[in-house]
Amino acid sequence: MFDLEKAIADWRRQMLADGIKTPVPLEELESHLREDIERQMKSGSNEQKAFEVSIQRIGQPQAIKREFKKMERTFMKKIMIILFGIFGILFGPGIILPALAKHRDLGVWNTEIVMPMVWGSLILLAGLAAAAYGFKRRKA
Amino acid sequence: MIRKELVAASAEPLILSLLSKGESYGYAIIQEVKTRSGGKLQWTDGMLYPVLHRMESRGLIKSHWGESKTGRKRKYYSLKKDGKTAMAKHHEQWSLVHSVLAGLQKEQFV
Repeated sequence: MFDLEKAIADWRRQMLADGIKTPVPLEELESHLREDIERQMKSGSNEQKAFEVSIQRIGQPQAIKREFKKMERTFMKKIMIILFGIFGILFGPGIILPALAKHRDLGVWNTEIVMPMVWGSLILLAGLAAAAYGFKRRKA
Repeated sequence: MIRKELVAASAEPLILSLLSKGESYGYAIIQEVKTRSGGKLQWTDGMLYPVLHRMESRGLIKSHWGESKTGRKRKYYSLKKDGKTAMAKHHEQWSLVHSVLAGLQKEQFV
């Protein structure tokens, strides 16, 4: 005797084991599954057949997981760009300002002062570029 | 059989356009696309949801959990302002491609 609730519970366990997360999207997929089964049964299909057709239609968990992972990777990339931007904007001046202070104290320009200013400026510029890029692509 | 790339490219404009008519949920969206395309556009049910979530994370649409008349839990999606803007852009670009193709097609019968 086919037990629909048990079959769905087994399907859920399999999806979780394959890496589909709960509650999103597993709850949504289950809701979709139940709706599809109900529709098929209204058209005369029996419970077991409807279940088998539905899980086929939903597709392989690996394919679903791959698509979700692609989305996560894009999100992580965006986070990294923003963090790099923040780092550059904070760290750059953090190097430039002490060097400027040293210049103010000593009154000269020497390698000890100029080099940190160059590096600091490069880091600041890189940070600003990353921030601008991240801001421009934030809706991508 | 419609090319995979075309199915993928048309997913977002189709979803945005459908949601511009009112909020809907995954299952209904797939059914409507199937019906409107005479069965030629058959999205893999499980593939729609990553697309919806991507669009949600980009701020084009928003969602809330609701209940069907029979008490079944459903996630409803609706269009946001940025989604309306994106939809208009899609329409513009698809119309452009279509008009160029249609123009070329006409010339072939001359």
